[in-house]
Amino acid sequence: MVLENEIFKDFEDIVGKNNINDGKVITTAYAYNWCMEFFNYMEDKEPSPFSSIPKAVILPASTEEVAEIIKLCNKYGIKFKAQSTGLGPWNQPSTDNCIIVDLRRMNKLVKIDEKNLYAVIEPYVSGAQLQVEAMKYGLNCHMPGAGPHVSPLASATSMAGPGFTSPSTGHSARNVLGVEWVLPTGDIMRLGAIGLKKKPDWYNGDGPGPSLRGIMRGWVGAKSGIGVFTKVAVKLFPYPCSTDFTITGKSPNYGFKIPKYLRLYVMDCKTYEFLEEVMLKVDEEEISFMCSHLSGSGLAAIFSNSLQGLIGKAKLAQLKVPIVILITARTDREFDYKQKVMDNLIQELNIKDIIGKSYSPEPVFYAEALRSNLGLHGFITTGSFQSSKGGSDTAAVCLLSTKMNIPLKMEYIKSGAIGNDSGKGVWMTSYESGHYYHMESPTMFDQTDDHSVKGMAEYMEASNQLDLLKHLGAPFFVEGTQMHELFGPHMSNYHIWLRKIKQAFDPNNIADSGFYISPHSKE
Amino acid sequence: MMDDEEYKHLIRRCIRCSICKWIPQLQIKSKKYATICPAIDMYNFHPYSGGGKIILALALEMEKIKPSEELRDIVYKCTECGGCDVSCKFLNNLEPLEIIIKLREKLVDLGYGPMPKQQQYIDSVKKNNNPYNEPHENRLNWLPEDINIDPNAQVLYFVGCTSSYRRKEMAIAACRVLNAAGVPFNILDNEEYCCGSPVFRTGDINTFKDFMNKNVDAIEAKNIKKVVFSCAGCYDTFKVHYPLYRNYNFEVKHSVEFFNELIENGKLLLTKKVPLTVTYHDPCHLGRNAEPYKEWKGKVVNLMPLISIHVPPKPKRCGTDGVYESPRELLKKIPELKFIEMERIKEYSYCCGAGAGVKSAFPEFALHTAKNRIQEAEDTGAQVITSSCPFCSTNLQDAIHESDSLLKYYDINELLMMAIGITDEKLKEFLGEVA
Repeated sequence: MVLENEIFKDFEDIVGKNNINDGKVITTAYAYNWCMEFFNYMEDKEPSPFSSIPKAVILPASTEEVAEIIKLCNKYGIKFKAQSTGLGPWNQPSTDNCIIVDLRRMNKLVKIDEKNLYAVIEPYVSGAQLQVEAMKYGLNCHMPGAGPHVSPLASATSMAGPGFTSPSTGHSARNVLGVEWVLPTGDIMRLGAIGLKKKPDWYNGDGPGPSLRGIMRGWVGAKSGIGVFTKVAVKLFPYPCSTDFTITGKSPNYGFKIPKYLRLYVMDCKTYEFLEEVMLKVDEEEISFMCSHLSGSGLAAIFSNSLQGLIGKAKLAQLKVPIVILITARTDREFDYKQKVMDNLIQELNIKDIIGKSYSPEPVFYAEALRSNLGLHGFITTGSFQSSKGGSDTAAVCLLSTKMNIPLKMEYIKSGAIGNDSGKGVWMTSYESGHYYHMESPTMFDQTDDHSVKGMAEYMEASNQLDLLKHLGAPFFVEGTQMHELFGPHMSNYHIWLRKIKQAFDPNNIADSGFYISPHSKE
Repeated sequence: MMDDEEYKHLIRRCIRCSICKWIPQLQIKSKKYATICPAIDMYNFHPYSGGGKIILALALEMEKIKPSEELRDIVYKCTECGGCDVSCKFLNNLEPLEIIIKLREKLVDLGYGPMPKQQQYIDSVKKNNNPYNEPHENRLNWLPEDINIDPNAQVLYFVGCTSSYRRKEMAIAACRVLNAAGVPFNILDNEEYCCGSPVFRTGDINTFKDFMNKNVDAIEAKNIKKVVFSCAGCYDTFKVHYPLYRNYNFEVKHSVEFFNELIENGKLLLTKKVPLTVTYHDPCHLGRNAEPYKEWKGKVVNLMPLISIHVPPKPKRCGTDGVYESPRELLKKIPELKFIEMERIKEYSYCCGAGAGVKSAFPEFALHTAKNRIQEAEDTGAQVITSSCPFCSTNLQDAIHESDSLLKYYDINELLMMAIGITDEKLKEFLGEVA
């Protein structure tokens, strides 16, 4: 037993004996995560895929249990790290004086408010689960680019959350309404209309009083460094087309009965300048469900479900600066209108759409687009990838960042450390019809190859330095004290304010700050 | 199956995405029936999932953990249903199921596997040729006198231990249907031995090979052309795992395939109405796990740094080629039977919970899983759940009983008997025993 008997018993009394474990096997397994090897290397440790091993893993079933667990953590001076679906290194403890609070048992879809277009969910409801239930009402949810298997609550409260449907569904920060939040002290706070004394409900995330949404999550979230989110209301949107979702065939060769009113356009803009013009014009028309720029190799990847299939799409990979647009509609009239607008833009911009001409995707592409499964294609080539950059800015800044990153990336490609995407590997999407843009640079590496892992880590650090040097904004994985202290002085000293928030909300420094900010600069 | 080098490589490639906990993302139709892994559904801690067990394999290899009873209990709390494998392989190239199988083998080699209860079964297989501690000479006690056996037939019905000793109604039904179709068939009599599935799935490969050789030798000595199984576990073992160690010169068919062909060829006439609403449970061993391994001889070509491909392309075993259509076609041919599907079917069917030694070692886990499946069947509005595997039969019937469900369970061949119009006193007697 890693926890002292008395302490273990106190935790066990909260969740019951089957829902806590401090055995070596369970706790070691929780120390593993995707990308840990190069995160470790970036911190001058061995490039092992394992983080610090937690003292125990505990599985609460309710907000009240979470609150009691956190109070005990305060009592015994043990840090906690919460996780829901658990993908990524930001779920990992940064110290071995920490327990993992695995929120897996909190998996209720509390309600769908069809009239007011929102759903209330617990941490372990996945994006696909929420989407299929929303579809029964003709509705849809925003899903982060990570995929339909991850937690919309985690994304809404604790991560950045861009997605392939961001032109029409925004990103996670923009979709969060009422929030139930267990603070690092164990107190339960309810943000938004759910905090009202009279007629509390989830429909509004701001108020009563000043909004705490910025404090609660800021730009990229605190990754449990400021408490645990146990329920959240997220916006719902009308489903973009018919909700008939019929998959045919058998995995992995699925077919899809493409619903009415979907049309895909893929065009090669040839230059980044022209891409900017095309994206801005398309977004201005507010017609696209998806509007993304990917590199040629990235484009080939989203249309392939295997490396072999990807190689067969070499022609797509040769496109210089592609743009992918998916328009959707619910009626003939809406569909006609959107297609006419696209036809006019294509004519006006003198650009060629290759879909139905030189290329037609497999029908299953449309299913994956509707279910937001495309991000997972990033793993096809080398087994792993991670993104540098992640700016949220104007199209011009995002593209400047894209261009400036190419020579840097090429250095590491030439060294054989990262996958060859000609340095152009990027995913850029508009948010909310082009109000602003997201850009990140997915970079392929092989987690089983030490040279690749170390090269990836060095590339990530160099990419961060480039962001600073060229004023390209902070990457969206700006997390942890070191990164905040690196970027903060260049960005209005935000890190000082972030630290004040941490100090105010977590007086005993109990929430693991490994991917947030430590309360003191020299911790 | 993978060699040690591939094992050591692949256990470093899990991205901990948890896709293995869900049915393929594109197939999710409801929140309620979105999951695929019985073990994580029951025990909740991540290491119980397919990906979690890959992490355990890596941690063991890296000596971050030592072999222990704690590790053994987690690794063996798995039905080896392969659901994780199907979901993972939609986009990835990992082999979760083979890694789990190999991890069990390693635990056996290290002296930590199988579970004590499973060891009793293995001991019984070695001693009695069946896992149930029953005398070998009683293997044919189920056989009614009026069933016609033809010692010279080229079709063999392989009964299996579970149908011989525990689910006798399945053996009787299969034989009655064969007789009704006028198909001459033989059985192995006292030369039939356990197929080896229970020992293979708990990691004892040497004992498995002994039983494989005894059965194949006996069948080949009788000049058999076709072997028919009503047990999905025996069928999977013969079809998928025997060829990994030994080739044989006969064809294998599950009864649902063979009988469906007989109906199509007009040799089996379904004349009686069976006005029941029926749903079908895909056994893992007849479905996704019955997909054979395809031999690959090629090389790995490095296209560019970090990117290699198999030339020619290496076949990926994804559960695509399991036996899915035959039982459905067969059921749809039964007059007035209304066939209705559950949400999780075919390659992403939810496991009954009995497999890989779970029913013996962790009965509460097996029952928990089967109750989940029975609930799913009930939600279709069906009156009957049917399947084609004696382990599924036992476990699903236990769940029906434990959850006071109004569902009835029939083996698919019992439904065929109804459609043919056969009644059988001995079968009724056995069904009475079960009830």
